[in-house]
Amino acid sequence: MATDAIGGETPTLFLRKATGLVRGWSVRDSMIYAVLATNVVTLGIYEFSFQSFIPKGQLITSILVSGVWVSFLVIAYAGLIVTIPRAGGDYVWQSRILGSGLGFVMAATGWWFILWLWAPIYGNILSVELFQPLWATLGDPSGATWFATKTGIFVVSVITIALAGVLVSLGMAGYARIQKWCFYAGLVGFAVIVILLLINSKANFISSFNTEAHKIFGVSNAYGKTNALAVKNGYVSPAFGFTPIGASMLLIPMMMFYLLWPNWGSTLYGEIRGASDFKRVFAGMFSGLWITVILSVIFLLVVAKTFGNAFYNNANALYWTAFYSGGKVSSPIPIWPYPVMFAGWLVHNTVFQAVLILLMALWFIGWVGTLFLSSTRVIFAAAFDRVLPDRAAEVSEKRKVPFYSLILMLAPAVIVSAVYAYNLTFETYTLDATLVIAVTYLFSAIAVVLLPWVKPDLWRASPASRIKVLGVPLVPLAGVVTIGLLGYNLYEWLTNSAYGVNNHDSLYFMGGMYVLAIVVYVIARIVRSRQGIDLGLINKEIPVE
Amino acid sequence: MRNAPGTCVREPTAAQLSGCAKEGMGGNVRVFFATDIHGSEVCWRKFLNAAAFYKADLVVLGGDVTGKVMVPIVAHAGYWQAVVRGETIRMETRAELEEVEKQIRNKGSYPAIVTPDELTELSGTEGAVDRRFSAEMIRSLDRWLDMADGKLRGGDIPCVLNGGNDDIWEIDDIIEASPCVSFGEGKALDLDGFSLVSMGWTNPTPWDTFREAPEDELKKKIDAVVGQIPDLERAIFNFHAPPYGTGLDEAPALDANLRPTHGGAVMKAVGSTAVRDAINSYQPMLSVHGHIHESRGIKKMGRTLAINPGSVYGDGVLQGAVLELNPKKGKVTKYLLVNG
Repeated sequence: MATDAIGGETPTLFLRKATGLVRGWSVRDSMIYAVLATNVVTLGIYEFSFQSFIPKGQLITSILVSGVWVSFLVIAYAGLIVTIPRAGGDYVWQSRILGSGLGFVMAATGWWFILWLWAPIYGNILSVELFQPLWATLGDPSGATWFATKTGIFVVSVITIALAGVLVSLGMAGYARIQKWCFYAGLVGFAVIVILLLINSKANFISSFNTEAHKIFGVSNAYGKTNALAVKNGYVSPAFGFTPIGASMLLIPMMMFYLLWPNWGSTLYGEIRGASDFKRVFAGMFSGLWITVILSVIFLLVVAKTFGNAFYNNANALYWTAFYSGGKVSSPIPIWPYPVMFAGWLVHNTVFQAVLILLMALWFIGWVGTLFLSSTRVIFAAAFDRVLPDRAAEVSEKRKVPFYSLILMLAPAVIVSAVYAYNLTFETYTLDATLVIAVTYLFSAIAVVLLPWVKPDLWRASPASRIKVLGVPLVPLAGVVTIGLLGYNLYEWLTNSAYGVNNHDSLYFMGGMYVLAIVVYVIARIVRSRQGIDLGLINKEIPVE
Repeated sequence: MRNAPGTCVREPTAAQLSGCAKEGMGGNVRVFFATDIHGSEVCWRKFLNAAAFYKADLVVLGGDVTGKVMVPIVAHAGYWQAVVRGETIRMETRAELEEVEKQIRNKGSYPAIVTPDELTELSGTEGAVDRRFSAEMIRSLDRWLDMADGKLRGGDIPCVLNGGNDDIWEIDDIIEASPCVSFGEGKALDLDGFSLVSMGWTNPTPWDTFREAPEDELKKKIDAVVGQIPDLERAIFNFHAPPYGTGLDEAPALDANLRPTHGGAVMKAVGSTAVRDAINSYQPMLSVHGHIHESRGIKKMGRTLAINPGSVYGDGVLQGAVLELNPKKGKVTKYLLVNG
């Protein structure tokens, strides 16, 4: 039998060659997934455009504070990962620590049902960050504006759903290779934009912007008009800076739209060997989060330098004012003010502009394939737990397609996409998609705080229990800070109308998901009980002695 | 009760199972199946208690009983020292030592008490670690089987154990010799109307472990053991390797350095085609598997219910399957995957 010794000249551990003793996945892989999940281009830049809803808020301040706060979530999740690894993430942690029913409801809502809403959100982002600017750049502004219509958004949402569905069916092997290329090429695109904005002056940009806007949309002095119209419609951009802190804090619930996901890979980690794994797991997620934070700050700094901070905010504010005005207000640039398109206008070459847009679309392509990945896992896990019918986990023999789980994901996503596209109000519920997952995270944070008391043996055996600050275990402490983060955000989302979440229909929509999950679970308990199967046994611990 | 030709084993007797078909369960037999506990003592203790906990009539452990890690505890004058989960622990009393040993065993590792000189010799002498590893595995299994005697009421509760690809050969004789458990490898055990056939061999892995064979050899082994079954409709396959491409055999794809590729997001079917083909052609009522810890799941293959309960032995959680079998109909009437 072959063995390895760990610990140098004085070994502290001997490993024999056996199945499954694999090295943990690399910090670099983990970092790439965290950067793609907290996607500065696909999600971040899109969300920055809503700054005008908290008009005095400073984006950079809110991003930096969010980064610090979410770092504690990373610590809490790293603690859960090394304590109960490779076991399905939130569903298993909550089921084991807090109970099966709660685990199912939180997993079903946070990793399955709410993905129905993420589908049209991604579709809308694909529309505004690819189809609209590309069509405009290629000289078809009416085609570009079609993609902003209700039907346009619905069609792109269906394309997004189909794309994600096909990738689930084909498996991740091919897509995973594409993802890395998307990441590196996307970074190249990002660097090109930063360089362009660094080497050009604001005067250059104003001139180029006006030239290209006139060429494409037939508008003269678009830069000045954008600024004037935004002010005319009541928006006053804050001067570039970092204060006021209070208003900037109110932007944090918006920044969660992209910064809350560095733990995306939490269900994927392999066998854990020791304390060093905590550092590796933490390092991957933490570095991914902070790369995104740094890219965000760099982006906003170069935009402020070359676009002008006021213009960037004005363009965004005016777009959303026009969007929700029902035609009463119009913007000189009739499509979403995509900064990538504007940066490309500094080079008066259509091919360059189009290539730059396509290059930056790789940030989207590299991530959209994972849209339904978590849903598939939850559906399969629930079927194996007999909560859903066995059929939900069936995979066709010939084509290896999880046909029924695809139906459970795709059909509702298409319906929600139609409602999202054709009901103007529904689009304001975008942050519902973040809120529902935040609730799921909240219960995992509660689980990590309770872990030392609820599962003391498991906790004592975990490498996470050894990590202390001033004698206090860091992981539960980070769980408390995470509860603070999520509690703050939930409070703001549910009480402040600026986020578009706390209206009746939005609350009914989200509440309906929780009711649906509870109903599914209760029905499963009743039906299985009649069949003589006690679902309560699933996570009941066998006595040791 | 029928022994395989040429073997002499303590198998569950018909008398032991005669009370299993309880009236309240419609004459059904309840089986608890777990697998891949890899030396975790807390999981073994739970396994021994599973019959009472799940009211099972028969318990089966599907293979990979032994652990993969040995932790040296260095005995110095007046204290012991070990590195557990990256932390150096100094033990000054026998009670502290026993507590650390317990923690190490519960994680599926073997505590090995050594002097500083022995530790130097272990790391410097070819084959010394292997010999010590084997000795610790055997010592641990002996302890486990002693525990089993009490928990299984001296053999009143039928218990079948098997080796897996990671298990050293020496365990076979030890299990065979136990008065309260039955060794299943290569035999068709007649369980009051059901036939349980076991095989701990798997198709080749990147780790080149003990019980691995090419698919064509696996097929021969399967055919040989299945040939002993009188009634395939009431057959239970207990094959360590899961059937290929069924979702019960998905493990993270690895690179040349055995590191998961693409952040662990890419899964790959690594099961056995021989096992898959055997299930498809023989169509037993039930087929239970292990080997791939992360591939917990259930798959219907024709009339066969195939199950891999997976394993998270390192967490001290005993994953398993509670199965209710109807001997008259020759089918599985109820099943539930549990995290005990």
